[in-house]
Amino acid sequence: MSKMSDPETMIEVVDLHKRFKDLHVLNGISTVVKRSEVVAIMGPSGSGKSTFLRCLNRLEEPSSGHIYIEGVDILAPYIDVNRVRTEIGMVFQSFNLFPHLTSLENIKLAPMNVRKISKKEATERSMALLEKVGLVDKADAYPEQLSGGQQQRVAIARALAMQPQIMFFDEPTSALDPEMIGEVLDVMRAMAKEGMTMMVVSHEMGFIREAADRILFLADGLIVEDGTPDQIFNQSKHERTIEFLSKIL
Amino acid sequence: MTKPVSSQPSTSGLSDIKGKIGQIPIIRRNSFVHGYLSVLVLYALFLLPASGSPEAVDLSRILLFCLLFLVWAIIIFTDELKSEKLKTVVVFSIFAIAAWLFYRYSSARWGEMGFLFFNLEIIQKAWPTLVEGFWTTLFLAVCAAIMSTIIGLLMAIFRSFNNAVLNVFIIAYVDFFRAMPIIVLMMLIYYALPFMGIRLSAIMSGILALGLNSSAYVSEIFRAGFLSIKRGQIEAANALGLSAVQTMRLVILPQAFRVVIPPLVGNYVASAKDTALASSISIIELLKAGLSQKSLLANPSPLIFITVLYLFMFVPLTRFSGYLERRMKASQRQVRL
Repeated sequence: MSKMSDPETMIEVVDLHKRFKDLHVLNGISTVVKRSEVVAIMGPSGSGKSTFLRCLNRLEEPSSGHIYIEGVDILAPYIDVNRVRTEIGMVFQSFNLFPHLTSLENIKLAPMNVRKISKKEATERSMALLEKVGLVDKADAYPEQLSGGQQQRVAIARALAMQPQIMFFDEPTSALDPEMIGEVLDVMRAMAKEGMTMMVVSHEMGFIREAADRILFLADGLIVEDGTPDQIFNQSKHERTIEFLSKIL
Repeated sequence: MTKPVSSQPSTSGLSDIKGKIGQIPIIRRNSFVHGYLSVLVLYALFLLPASGSPEAVDLSRILLFCLLFLVWAIIIFTDELKSEKLKTVVVFSIFAIAAWLFYRYSSARWGEMGFLFFNLEIIQKAWPTLVEGFWTTLFLAVCAAIMSTIIGLLMAIFRSFNNAVLNVFIIAYVDFFRAMPIIVLMMLIYYALPFMGIRLSAIMSGILALGLNSSAYVSEIFRAGFLSIKRGQIEAANALGLSAVQTMRLVILPQAFRVVIPPLVGNYVASAKDTALASSISIIELLKAGLSQKSLLANPSPLIFITVLYLFMFVPLTRFSGYLERRMKASQRQVRL
């Protein structure tokens, strides 16, 4: 509990379990993420990476355990889960932009309806974010008119528009053609430099090596290894990690 | 050894075909088609029975004529070498022959058709009642559409909560009103409920029956619309902190409406056509107005008039819903590409 009062602690996870009927996806995960830390989550498919991330903003309800965001127990019964989610931006593998809205409308939807800021202010903020991701000229384009990389950048801008404390990325480049991965990773690098707290499920080795402070290596719903990119990539003694890395390198 | 054996039959087959090129089969020759046609004309002139009622004439001779004529038409249609112009003429001649045979042997009073079916004087007399009937039909259709949309949408929303008990009730409702013939429902509401002390006006009963029936279909249409929205859309809305109501209003409904509009319009048209059933519970809508004026004025012109009116209302509407459906399908294909 002492960690909770530490202002540098952004997320604290204690003994998190998730079961889907007979399937144990998470088997007791505990970790701490500090403010401005960029944490990469790696591991073989089925190791529970995505489920772990999705439990942290309660897109999946954890079976047991505790999650504290800025010291607040977000699994407590009195917690307004929507309020929690406004503090956590999430970027999905399949972008999930709203197809009936333009890029600009996608971005300003939540600030206007959840944060209740004026249309004028929301538009200004959204245009600034579009500029940041390099898509000002696509403000009035609908998602189907954009490439995958452009859609994902709009999705990042949409998440940032809520001015979250934390950003989650669930395999943000897995659905992209190789030539579009770079433009998305560039945006993410810039965010990391600005001090955003980020949790990224990804296997983009170059990006992780360069931008991540820490890697959590998951297997069978447990954190097998927890260390800096250098420790994981170059000095790992763990059998599962070495086997996995040899496959993706 | 095997080579010459296998190549020999194929060369002889080829020369066989070569020998036949240039020979047009008899039935494809122009002389045959023209000869056949003159036989048909002679048949029509001398062998067809004199005009009269269907009971009195020799039906077998008429049927044989029809058969011979159709064989002639088929010979022309199956010939790729015949021109499109000729085929067009044959199409019109089929209709002309059919109309001519009907005219000749139906023993109808063709001379009085103008007076009986298209009698402007009668329509003039019936006009006020027919106009009133038209407005009643429109009123029924619009009220039923509004009612069915509200009930159907609410049921689809409740259905999307996926509560097991609620689902049982909604499924039972949908099954009941889809299975129940509208006219039976109308009679129940208008003739059976008053015994229990529930007295509704004829108009109310009609709207209720039409609306309840239609609402069952509308709820299924909306449900399909909701199901067409991908899970990721709802997750993205949730992750942004939108409440359940906001997610429904800002993300799900606008997308569902696009999917739902073509089948919805089709359903409204079907429901509007069913307003004619309301004539059975003494509502003076268009059909009942036409029928009553026919009896009153002893002339069927009002019925012909309302038939034309129904066509003028519903042909454009059914065309419109078909157009919406095609456009919907086209845009879906685009999105997938």
